[in-house]
Amino acid sequence: MLQRGISGGLMTQRQFLIELEDLHKSYVGGERPVLQGLHIAMTPGDRVVVVGPSGGGKSTLLRVIMGLEPINQGRVLFNGQEYISVGADGRTKIDKQLRRQIGMVFQHYTLFPHLNVLQNLVLAPVKVRGEPRKMAEDRARSLLDRFGLGAKESAYPARLSGGQKQRVAIARALMLDPKLMLFDEVTSALDPELVAEVEQVIIGLANQSMPMMIVTHDMHFARNIASRVIFCANGIVVEDGPPEQVLGQPKEARTREFIKRVFHIGE
Amino acid sequence: MSYQFDFSSIFRNIGPLLDGLVVTIQLTVVANVIGLTLGFLVALLAISPSRLIRYPTMLYIEFFRCTPALMQIIWFFYCLPILFNVYIPGLAMGILALGLNLVAFNAEAYRAAIQGVPREQVDASVALGLSSFQRTAFVVLPQAFRASLPVLLSNGIGTFQQSALVAVVAIADLMYNGKILATDTYRPIETFTVVALIYFAISFPISQIVEYLERRQAASIA
Repeated sequence: MLQRGISGGLMTQRQFLIELEDLHKSYVGGERPVLQGLHIAMTPGDRVVVVGPSGGGKSTLLRVIMGLEPINQGRVLFNGQEYISVGADGRTKIDKQLRRQIGMVFQHYTLFPHLNVLQNLVLAPVKVRGEPRKMAEDRARSLLDRFGLGAKESAYPARLSGGQKQRVAIARALMLDPKLMLFDEVTSALDPELVAEVEQVIIGLANQSMPMMIVTHDMHFARNIASRVIFCANGIVVEDGPPEQVLGQPKEARTREFIKRVFHIGE
Repeated sequence: MSYQFDFSSIFRNIGPLLDGLVVTIQLTVVANVIGLTLGFLVALLAISPSRLIRYPTMLYIEFFRCTPALMQIIWFFYCLPILFNVYIPGLAMGILALGLNLVAFNAEAYRAAIQGVPREQVDASVALGLSSFQRTAFVVLPQAFRASLPVLLSNGIGTFQQSALVAVVAIADLMYNGKILATDTYRPIETFTVVALIYFAISFPISQIVEYLERRQAASIA
């Protein structure tokens, strides 16, 4: 069982984009452990796909990295700086400046329904970074054009298809120039014919060397996009390696069993 | 039906009914202003993390929601002066009773709408780096106001209709003047038919607006 990233022992701390050290996280007053000593170190060149059974802690992992969930133990470093830790009082401490360098796209779109597409994109740059509205709108239009959504800038989320909503959500996260993108099952809620358009956008970002961590159940997508696959179960990293290994010839019995079930289901 | 309708005496004396309608509208508008503003503040207290603030607020809300509006009006009109030596004009007392009643119902509407904003919306705004104030001001409250609007309008119409209860404490609203007119003209059926039609003519368009808003809201969520 690997407890650390494949390249963990070879690199100095400064070369990691994000390091998760001994992360523990429980729900309901410690009775339901979700993360049980998780170690992951990710370099700026990594495109990490996290796979594993439901309830294995994958989405919680992304939510912890985004600072949406408190942790019980451990710490997270971002670019070598302490980003998330647990204080002496047991409370989780989050460096909000560092958090702004991470973008996240969720499973259920989460566009703000009272704002149109353009307003969704410029809200954070204008309010959080104090960017002039005109400049933010110009950047937003350019991103929307890039994602084939130029004609939709005045549309409200209710008027968009699932795939369009998810592309807008990705564009919205990119408006803050994140150094790391997190994708939490972004295609699970989509109709099958809409999945490809979202995956193409993510693949486009990957081709531009955007570091990303993706949680997905789509093994074909995982194989296409990942530079590294982490198999997570019961809140720990069971296996961590290149996609050909983890998805093709896994070393660990639990990974093999999972991959067998996923690829042969229904046969 | 052998009854012969005769509205002529009502239309000859329509003046007092219109005067009463003005009072009814005054009661409704001012009570709604109180209900919409204080209701929002009370809703914020009702979701306070502090029990010391939350529990008394919930007690106030539940008291006004769980007792008849007629009893509240009578209590304000007769008991408040005796117990607290507070003497204010009848119309103001009616506004106070209806307003505080509406505050309780509107506070519940606001509270439910604020707490009904999906958790994912807050998560997304955290992920975008919005501060707690910015999340509340730009994400939660705009959605909560939209969600609560049909209920607030319904409550507003409810107060317009409930304002007829102030007639029991001799405030000269539409209902009270209708009662007087019915007695004076010996035409209670015609009088109360006209009074009912006036209430309907004002309530019905607003209820249609509420339905339209509810349909639009359902479409915007889909």
